[in-house]
Amino acid sequence: MSSIARQSSKDKILLLAVLATAFVLPMVVTSPSTMQFLILLLFYAYLTSSWNLVGGFAGVLPLGHAAFVALGAYTSTLLYLQYGLSPWLGMLVGGVVAAVVGIIIGIPTLKMRGAYFALATIAFAEAIRVLIQNTSQVGPFNVNGPRGLLINLKGSSFAAYQFTSKASYYYIMLVLLLMVLGVTVLLMRSKLGYYLSAGGEEPEAAQALGVNVAKYKLLAMALSCFFTALAGTFYAQLMLYISPQNICGLNLSFEIAFIALIGGRGTILGPVLGALLLRPVNELTRVYLGGLLPGMHLVIFGLILVLVMIYQPRGIQEPLTRLYRRLTGGGDDQDHDQDQDTLPKAKEAVEL
Amino acid sequence: MENFLQSLISGLLIGGIYGLTAVGLTLIFGVMKVINFAHGSLLMVGMFAAYWFIKLSGLNPYLALFVVVPLLFLFGYAMQHVVIRPVFKAEKDVREPITVIIVTTGIWYILDNLSLMAFGAEYRVVHTSVSGKIFDMGGIYFLQSKLYGFLIALATALFLYWFLKHSKMGKAIRATSLDREAASLMGVNQYRIYNIAFGLGTACCGVAGCVLIPFYYVYPTVGTIFDIRAFIIVVLGGLGSIPGALLGGILIGITQSVGAQYMAATWTEEIIYVIFLLILFVKPSGLFGSRYDY
Repeated sequence: MSSIARQSSKDKILLLAVLATAFVLPMVVTSPSTMQFLILLLFYAYLTSSWNLVGGFAGVLPLGHAAFVALGAYTSTLLYLQYGLSPWLGMLVGGVVAAVVGIIIGIPTLKMRGAYFALATIAFAEAIRVLIQNTSQVGPFNVNGPRGLLINLKGSSFAAYQFTSKASYYYIMLVLLLMVLGVTVLLMRSKLGYYLSAGGEEPEAAQALGVNVAKYKLLAMALSCFFTALAGTFYAQLMLYISPQNICGLNLSFEIAFIALIGGRGTILGPVLGALLLRPVNELTRVYLGGLLPGMHLVIFGLILVLVMIYQPRGIQEPLTRLYRRLTGGGDDQDHDQDQDTLPKAKEAVEL
Repeated sequence: MENFLQSLISGLLIGGIYGLTAVGLTLIFGVMKVINFAHGSLLMVGMFAAYWFIKLSGLNPYLALFVVVPLLFLFGYAMQHVVIRPVFKAEKDVREPITVIIVTTGIWYILDNLSLMAFGAEYRVVHTSVSGKIFDMGGIYFLQSKLYGFLIALATALFLYWFLKHSKMGKAIRATSLDREAASLMGVNQYRIYNIAFGLGTACCGVAGCVLIPFYYVYPTVGTIFDIRAFIIVVLGGLGSIPGALLGGILIGITQSVGAQYMAATWTEEIIYVIFLLILFVKPSGLFGSRYDY
């Protein structure tokens, strides 16, 4: 425990510098397209960090998180369009709906082995997508099937969650991201984090010691689904249009999971690093190669995926942390890094 | 009634081919405990290989089997050896290495998009000597190519089943799937077994690709449809079970085809997902699966 608390002052300086840069950036950047890119960068970092709450700590591989993005987006948007409920409140309702659905799905699936859980989440997300596509009306709500939902433009209105300046969206997402990272830190430092880590690595052993693994996994799932759904509302308000194809597709589910995995799952900053690295690579290759060679950017994405898994199966955060330690001269030993960034092993949890 | 029979037979025939792709997937899972997410892409490779063979040679479409199937076997063998083995080795203590699932997904992205770059996004159909020919069974019509495809798929699945049960190599494969370490101690080279299992699984995609081409179109992301369906089928039949995969494929084929008689095709898709989730919740070992695998 002590080594987690023992954070060198250099780390704090770096953290402050990064935060300051993040806060100042919208004041420097003027181009709306660059701002849009930065907003989506934060959006992805947020999604992967939310995914990480269950994908990183509960020892399972969720591959259907787009379903929760869609649940959030559709809940808040339908409530807004039908009853004029402020999307800020709708966002919370969406989060709760997603958390409840996550628990319902989690109860039978979280105890399954990796492959089954992954397949179950894929099937669940696809079932939700097809359901939305097939539904035009539920009670008073006009779901509008595959055509999607359009949110009418209101100009700048806080209550309507609409802003003419991109900077507002940027700051909203930044705050959300810091929030989910804060929850991740709390989770890792709490007893829950130790229990989850024990349950993820050795479910039988943890069970035998009286840890109710299933309960803690469910809690992680509910948290993850809740935060993921908030991003759905954000996306709906940013784009003012949602459709089952662009918000509930397999592509989005896979992107969330794989960016987090490339970054380093089960760590605080891994998913964020993954998004910071991969989103620009994706954007640049798509913009510069997309016209000439359609699909090239996905070939590159696939290659990165394969190479990272072969050479850095724990994600790029590991070599990056090592590099950072060497540069600042702070890292005296390898274990130190491990304690800082990854969860303590199951046996430590047992000792506690 | 006639419509019902017609759709029943049509579903049965196409279901056999779904079943065969699922057999390949379940074989790989049984041995390596890894879901091969690139499976649909390998089917796409098989379909394109068959497409070009038939288009360029102009021969009988089923002759493509003799070229495409060995080719796909080698492709799968090499892919497992070069790309998947290093990841697998690094995580050999883990029963179901998640990193391997991710690598296969990377391969999926790479194959699909390379094929997009090479062949473009258009749907391609090749005219063969059996294209469009129909059998008439007392008022019930179906494509000859579907019947041939079904029979070839069935024969392949039965052959694989026999091969695993009775040949020496098959026994080594089954031993490895039961217990890697014990099989290694008995002198089985587990990594060679993985290569062969992956090669056989990919060869199934080769067979399915060849029999699909006479009546199906091919395009770079065609695998996705079959991929998700194959995932559902293998769980339905029980991961690792070959008869289960075949039967699961036929059940899904029939559900889809008969369902389409009574409702919109998009709703039958929904029904398939719901059946799948229900099976996962109620009987996760599927029809014939081992209860140790879920």
